[in-house]
Amino acid sequence: MPATQLSTDFHKTMKLDNVNTSLQEEIKLECGVDIELCMECGKCSGGCSNAHIFDFTPRKVVQLVKIGDEETLLKMDALSTCVSCHLCVDRCPSQIDIPRIIDYLREKAHKQGIEPTRKNVQLFNKLMLDYVQKNGRVAETHLMVRFNFKTGQYFKDAEMGRKMFFKGKLKPFPSKVKRIEQVRLLFRDVPARREG
Amino acid sequence: MSNRTKTALIIGGGPAGLEAAIKIGQAGYSVTLVEKEPVLGGTLRKLCSSFPRWENPQELIDFKLQQLDQLPVVRVMTDTVVNAAERRGDSFLVTLQGKEGSNQVDVDAVIIATGFELFDASVYGEYGYGTYPNVLNSLEFEEKLKEWTAAGDKPEALQTVAFFKCVGSRDRSKGYPYCSKICCMYAAKQAGLVKDLFPDSKCYVFYMDYRAAGKEYEEFVRSVIEQKHVRYVRGRPAKVIPEEGRLLIRAEDTLMGIPIEVTADVVVLANAIIPSSGTKEMAELFGIKTGKYGFLDSDSKSPLQAGDRVFFAGACGFAVESLGAQYQGAAAAAEVVALFNQAD
Ligand SMILES: Cc1cc2nc3c(=O)[nH]c(=O)nc-3n(C[C@H](O)[C@H](O)[C@H](O)COP(=O)(O)OP(=O)(O)OC[C@H]3O[C@@H](n4cnc5c(N)ncnc54)[C@H](O)[C@@H]3O)c2cc1C
Ligand code: SF4
Ligand code: SF4
Repeated sequence: MPATQLSTDFHKTMKLDNVNTSLQEEIKLECGVDIELCMECGKCSGGCSNAHIFDFTPRKVVQLVKIGDEETLLKMDALSTCVSCHLCVDRCPSQIDIPRIIDYLREKAHKQGIEPTRKNVQLFNKLMLDYVQKNGRVAETHLMVRFNFKTGQYFKDAEMGRKMFFKGKLKPFPSKVKRIEQVRLLFRDVPARREG
Repeated sequence: MSNRTKTALIIGGGPAGLEAAIKIGQAGYSVTLVEKEPVLGGTLRKLCSSFPRWENPQELIDFKLQQLDQLPVVRVMTDTVVNAAERRGDSFLVTLQGKEGSNQVDVDAVIIATGFELFDASVYGEYGYGTYPNVLNSLEFEEKLKEWTAAGDKPEALQTVAFFKCVGSRDRSKGYPYCSKICCMYAAKQAGLVKDLFPDSKCYVFYMDYRAAGKEYEEFVRSVIEQKHVRYVRGRPAKVIPEEGRLLIRAEDTLMGIPIEVTADVVVLANAIIPSSGTKEMAELFGIKTGKYGFLDSDSKSPLQAGDRVFFAGACGFAVESLGAQYQGAAAAAEVVALFNQAD
């Protein structure tokens, strides 16, 4: 499990004088998110659906922006583990859009050629987008099977898949949306991004 | 019962004492207001601006002085202290000591409004107050702000100012485990004023939490953070180290769990509010109750009564902002007026 360390190395002193406040300003400008509204309450982290596997919980992501630790932010595992469920924003008393910040950081990391900490996440996103491009919607069964095979986890969801199949929860054949050309147009206008 | 108009003695001419004097005077009773300083206004007179509305405190004082001027029943004695007090039935014979000599007066009730002092931060060796000239207490800094605002001859630039909250307060080891209640507010105010005067400066407020329990208080602190861009750093500074004419501060960012350092030009300490020496003297003179830390005390049934015919108001009872001191001054006046009305 990758566990990112602060770029300053743990327990090495951080100099506030050198804080890069431009990152905070950049995020305000580019994402329209003002992190000075943060009250450091941690409700975002308490609400986060994935906080238990985050190296830096949503509150800490905001705090890292405050202390200007861009290096840590661009390398952190949270860029891969955030599933953009928006529970944090929903809970936040200041409505701070943390997934927007995380998305922005993902793009930035990608542009700088920083490898995501979890290759699987990247692969999953790619496979999912492939389905959307092809069929206009995701075929969950196929997606899981392909993902598990590509990652060598051949029997990972087999038991659950069997149960779901017999309960009629899984569709064996993928279906297409009616006007697939419209979806493809979207893909033409916005080229698929490769980051996690 | 004598026929002379009942007289109240008010000791201390800060916001609490002024309010009490005006209200009792307006109710038609005589008042003797003694103030040890040459001017009225108390600590409020030393302030640059007042939270939560960025008001000029001098305007409030001027307004109160005008009200006093219209009340011939109020006798104001500045440069005066109370030397002795003797109980005589339902009144006190008190000795007032002024610059020109002393005189004795009979009074029928007393309101003590002798205010507060700041805890002496030099006991914290790690902060260097009293040793490093740019480590100031909050009132010293407030006076600087006032100078800079009024005269306009402020220093050309001030790069970094750091504020330390809870200096003395919430510190068992120094004997003051209580929260001093107003420092969170004035620290925000002072940091905001620095940003107004020196827009390019950086201001850090080191805090454990900020306590802004009052009308418009939370909004006030948030506006200082969000609109004036004062940076709040969670953690209590551990050390100030002089370094090439500046001050290096060591602390922990307790939100991330990492040690941090910042270099400042000025460090401002938000000292604990403690009872003034005058408050202690008056408590002794009138033989009234004080609590554990020396603030005047009452039973909670009549919250401003410290003894028979002895009341108190303002920061001599506990740390309070000036509006609260005024409320208490008015409430203590109501106690005295009620007492005088009953006796008539
Ligand atoms: C740095 C700082 C900033 C502050 N900023 C604000 C602010 O922005 N807004 C706000 O609302 N409040 C502010 N306050 C709080 C405010 O100063 C107090 O609320 C207010 O002064 C309390 O009024 P008081 O009348 O009880 O006491 P004081 O103002 O202390 O007045 C007491 C008076 O009694 C006199 N006295 C003392 N002993 C004797 C004696 N033996 N005989 C005769 N006279 C005596 C003193 O000389 C003094 O004039 C601030 C306080 C500090 C320390
Ligand atoms: S919930 Fe919002 S205000 Fe609270 S810590 Fe998270 S981002 Fe900050
Ligand atoms: S008012 Fe704020 S700074 Fe003052 S003692 Fe309480 S918490 Fe500390």
